[in-house]
Amino acid sequence: MPQGNMSGPQTVLAGILDIGELLLTSGAEVMRVEDTITRLCMVYGFVKVDVFTITSSIVLTVTAADGEIFTQTRRIRARDTDLGRVERVNALSRQLCQAPLPAEELRQAVQQVRNGPAYPEQVRFWMYALTAGVFSVFFGGNVWDAAAAAVAGAFLFLILKSGQRLRLNSILLHMLCSALTALLIVGLTRLGLGQNPDKIIIGNIMLLIPGLALTASLRDMINGDTISGLLGFCEATLKALAIAIGFAAILTGLGG
Amino acid sequence: MPHALLQTAMACIGSVGFAVLFNIRGKKLLLSGLGGALGWAVYLCCLHTGQDVFFALFLATAAVVACSELLARLVKTPVILLMVPMLIPLIPGGDLYYMMSCLVQGQYARFGQYAQLVLTESGAIAIGIICVASLANICTGFQKHPRRAP
Repeated sequence: MPQGNMSGPQTVLAGILDIGELLLTSGAEVMRVEDTITRLCMVYGFVKVDVFTITSSIVLTVTAADGEIFTQTRRIRARDTDLGRVERVNALSRQLCQAPLPAEELRQAVQQVRNGPAYPEQVRFWMYALTAGVFSVFFGGNVWDAAAAAVAGAFLFLILKSGQRLRLNSILLHMLCSALTALLIVGLTRLGLGQNPDKIIIGNIMLLIPGLALTASLRDMINGDTISGLLGFCEATLKALAIAIGFAAILTGLGG
Repeated sequence: MPHALLQTAMACIGSVGFAVLFNIRGKKLLLSGLGGALGWAVYLCCLHTGQDVFFALFLATAAVVACSELLARLVKTPVILLMVPMLIPLIPGGDLYYMMSCLVQGQYARFGQYAQLVLTESGAIAIGIICVASLANICTGFQKHPRRAP
């Protein structure tokens, strides 16, 4: 965040990095982030732009028209997928390319984009249930499996929410959530709701498993962003491992 | 055949569900669902005509990405906004789980088989995305802007 004593170019740079950070933390590709930052820096009158982005950091060095060089970096920790936000950031950067805003207004515009509309929590809750149910049918479950998967999906949403409030690290959180969900699923099938625990579990795994991240990491690697790709690949593999450990611990323990 | 139709319908709803979780709004939700169904339908058709998994997934991804590139230009939105939820049914989430589950349970031979399968599947998707996206970039003359100043 820009401080009060920063000079003009630094504030502009901070604003541009805010945009890049928003894109990266909302699930945009590394290439799009670098591309957007480069375009914006050019629009703001810097003559040379060197930006290096990986999934956990952005490093930006620019040369101003008078030859002075500025550098700022950002450390990126948490990422999620909010494509609505990607769209809004994209619209903002298009607008900036047409007519660049002064530094202070840029900050406000970024703030506005950051706090854009999101679906209420109830909608997300029902979508977790719906999606889990739908995917258990997709992988061959019957109606009762779908019902059980929906209950488990709703439960999964609630424990993910409370786990995030506890600020657990993401690997541990995924292990815990999958273990608790497996426990619930075994309980439900013992009570007679749903016949195929494996189909119910797959429905819920679709909500947790980083299949998208794995595919994106391969895409990054083939695209030439090898480091980002490797980071994403490791992260996805570790997360998948954590989820498998969580489910396996319960299933082998209880023989579900 | 009824099973294939059911699966395709579920792919459609599943894509919409994920699109909501990704905070996508309005008519783009509907487009995501249709794209998800299209991808899965292409995949099933390919398998039905005797193609292997790699080629089937590659073609399905190519269809989905081409569809999202076209639609994104029509409704004026970033391509990934449509592409990501449309790809959801094709993503090898289940196999990725089985792979790790075999590893955890010490079934190393099956782990190897699943690892190969997951890499093949996600590789097919990644290559499909890149081929069509590059083609779209060439067609629209994407590189018009200056990437580095002289």
